[in-house]
Amino acid sequence: MTRTKAGSLGSIAGIVVLTATIPLLFVVYSSLQLSASKWAGLWSSRLPELMGNTLSLALVVVVLCLILAVPSAWLTARRDFAGRKVAIWLLVLPLTIPTYVFAHIYTVLLEPTGWLGELWQLVAGDGALINLYGLGGAAVMLSLATFSYVFLLAYTSLVDSRRSLEEAARIHGASKWQVFLRVTLPLIRPALAAGLIVVVLHTLSDFGAVSMLRYQTFTLSIYLQMSGRFDYQAAAGLSLILVSMSLVFLVLERFFRRQQRYFAGAQTRFISRKRASIQETLVIWAWLGLVSLFAFVIPVSWMLAWSYEALVQDVIDAKFWGYALNTGLVSFTAATVAVVVALPLGLYHTRVRTWLSNLYIQLSSIGFVLPGPVVALGVITFVIAVLPNFYGGFAALIMALVVRFLPLAIQSQEAALQQLTPSVEQAGRIHGAGPLENLWRVILPMIRNGMVTAWVLVFIDVLKELPATLMLRPVGFDTLPIRIWIEASEEMLELAAPAALLLVVGTLPALWIMMRSHAVRR
Amino acid sequence: MSNKTNLLTGLGRSLLAMTLIVGSAATWAAEELVIYSGRKDKFVEPVVEKFTEQTGIKVILHSGESTALLNKMQIEGPRTQADLYLSNDAGNLQKGTEMGLFMRLPGSLVNEVPANLRAADNTWIGLSARARVLVVSKNAKDLDWVKSIFDLADPRLKDRLAITHSANESYIAGVTVYMEAVGDAKTKTWLEGMKVNVDGEVFNKHSKIVAAVANGQKDIGLVNHYYIYRHLAKEPDAPIEIRLPDQDGMGVAWNVAGVAVSKHSKKKNSAQKFVEFVVSAEGQKIFAEANNEYPVVLGIAAAPEVPAAGSYKIADVPMVKLGERRDETIDLIESVGMP
Repeated sequence: MTRTKAGSLGSIAGIVVLTATIPLLFVVYSSLQLSASKWAGLWSSRLPELMGNTLSLALVVVVLCLILAVPSAWLTARRDFAGRKVAIWLLVLPLTIPTYVFAHIYTVLLEPTGWLGELWQLVAGDGALINLYGLGGAAVMLSLATFSYVFLLAYTSLVDSRRSLEEAARIHGASKWQVFLRVTLPLIRPALAAGLIVVVLHTLSDFGAVSMLRYQTFTLSIYLQMSGRFDYQAAAGLSLILVSMSLVFLVLERFFRRQQRYFAGAQTRFISRKRASIQETLVIWAWLGLVSLFAFVIPVSWMLAWSYEALVQDVIDAKFWGYALNTGLVSFTAATVAVVVALPLGLYHTRVRTWLSNLYIQLSSIGFVLPGPVVALGVITFVIAVLPNFYGGFAALIMALVVRFLPLAIQSQEAALQQLTPSVEQAGRIHGAGPLENLWRVILPMIRNGMVTAWVLVFIDVLKELPATLMLRPVGFDTLPIRIWIEASEEMLELAAPAALLLVVGTLPALWIMMRSHAVRR
Repeated sequence: MSNKTNLLTGLGRSLLAMTLIVGSAATWAAEELVIYSGRKDKFVEPVVEKFTEQTGIKVILHSGESTALLNKMQIEGPRTQADLYLSNDAGNLQKGTEMGLFMRLPGSLVNEVPANLRAADNTWIGLSARARVLVVSKNAKDLDWVKSIFDLADPRLKDRLAITHSANESYIAGVTVYMEAVGDAKTKTWLEGMKVNVDGEVFNKHSKIVAAVANGQKDIGLVNHYYIYRHLAKEPDAPIEIRLPDQDGMGVAWNVAGVAVSKHSKKKNSAQKFVEFVVSAEGQKIFAEANNEYPVVLGIAAAPEVPAAGSYKIADVPMVKLGERRDETIDLIESVGMP
């Protein structure tokens, strides 16, 4: 019985994985057509530099994200202070701002005539400029845009961890610092790994920020090969190397997450937060305020200022609301489909845990590690060849977006599925529930939070998605990110700003649902 | 077990059905001309609105980057929904011709457009021209000696020069023109000199170059002419002026924005009507003036603030070269390692 059930679940999971690997198949197929001499040319001329650039960017972003996220998560999870919930919101909200919007806003603000540029000249003297182009700038922009993933997962994990282990360590004479390093940190290690892998994958596949800041990574180079020279084969070759690099990171992440199923007895208590004194509160807010100032307050102030300009100039018309509606429609559909198709995959893996299920999970991550334009190209090629009637419609776009963000859904669902202790499921079955009833009445309610998180994360990412939407949207179907891209590239700031602002506002309900479902509740 | 399989396959089926409906609905609805446009909506909308007003034919602008849209057309092949392709760069248009994406336009339709501003086989035509010029700060009094774009490689301009990054299509097109006019070797030396002068600091937009020269951050920049007028329209007192380079030598490099009709269009008649309208005196004026460019059809004047076409020397390079030699140009730029 169990065997056959896992079998049917396995075949559904297999179909999902097969669909998710379409872009990879496309990449492999195209790079096979690349001649040996062209490979050699790529290898000698570009690869060392690209690899160096891409890896150093990923490394710097990881370090910056840890610096931004871990102290913030610990403070908000373990200390009770005035405005704690506001702080949590402020630290999650940067998720709603796309990387290219960050890059755009900060380049404008740091110009000699921008708010920050003028301020900096007051501090550092006339003519002093902060140059955002290159590694430093790109890393800071990507960190500001993505550290919230690490924060969110670290915070949740810190709040969820039980008191008993840390108390036991204290009783046995460990100092506070030792407890943090040897108990707390290992406990949140899986969450940090999960958060960081999302950050790394975002970094590797980022197109918007690096192209605005002219930092040559694999993704940017792939894009230039495709668009500048129409050289799909070289682009595919580079993509293949990028995928291999990403797989290394994914395996690393799995390694850090191994043997982390940890089942707490129901009677253990959650950690209670220590009340912060007034001085402590000030220090805490100084840190959290600094982080959220750059990650959220400044960008949003800029959006508000230019949106006001747009309002005054009366440029927000019916078309603008049409773009907003399109964006919502695409994001809602893609997130829902992604969560639904991710479920059998996650369930299957949690159940059987074989090399095959492991392979499934790794393979389904492909969409996330390939650059958006390549995913889009793969899907276009597949759809035209196999399902020509779908082409040009909404379905092909949704398919590409789901393929692209499936890993996000799987990651968050899987984390939740792992909390599903075998005993609970067994209890359900003992009490006579069939597999379906068990799914509906036991599993789904228990992993509801994970599903909601998955849905919201995909929703937010689709909302901000640019390259795949650019290539695959139905004719005449524009979304807000596309309008931001088009208007910002022509310096029509008063047109780009309201779109960016609406993205932030549009994400709020989704974030609220997610936060209510677990994080802020405790 | 079977219950669950049914649930999931059922779910799968309904999803499939849903996407089928949505997918085909989108296909049926497209009863208008579709333009894949690499030109900013703002500069295309005026001419499109007038066209619709006169002919009753609706137009959907599907905007994006010129190159990305060309990629899209190529992959889509006969399935493309594009009836027309519009680009700001002759290089892209010629690339499309080489890919065999466009149909040959009848001579009667294209004769008004000078032969060097369209494809040899009439698969695309130029609509409006832009000049590659210098923007110079009025406050920089010591720059009178800069008369050619090749002077931009002079060490005296170290840290005073503003150029875009080398993936910019206008930049690439300009380099192709110089390669054609003075040869690859001289162009390469020139790029190397500029590379030293900018020292890794390049701009990602032409508008930012003009702004940098206007606010004194830089003294001189290489841009398309209309960026200067766009800046002056916002800030009439900005201390900048246009300088037309190479008047004693090869002349100013031109590039055209142009249009082509998709070979796979199912509405070729309507598409040709659109072409007819944009080469008409009225269409030309609206199309070019939206962006302070030069109408390509002779005898139609550009906006009054722009130096009149014919009043200065233009580099004698057919626009088709911008596509034919684009890969070589990129190779040359990359061999220098321009940022």
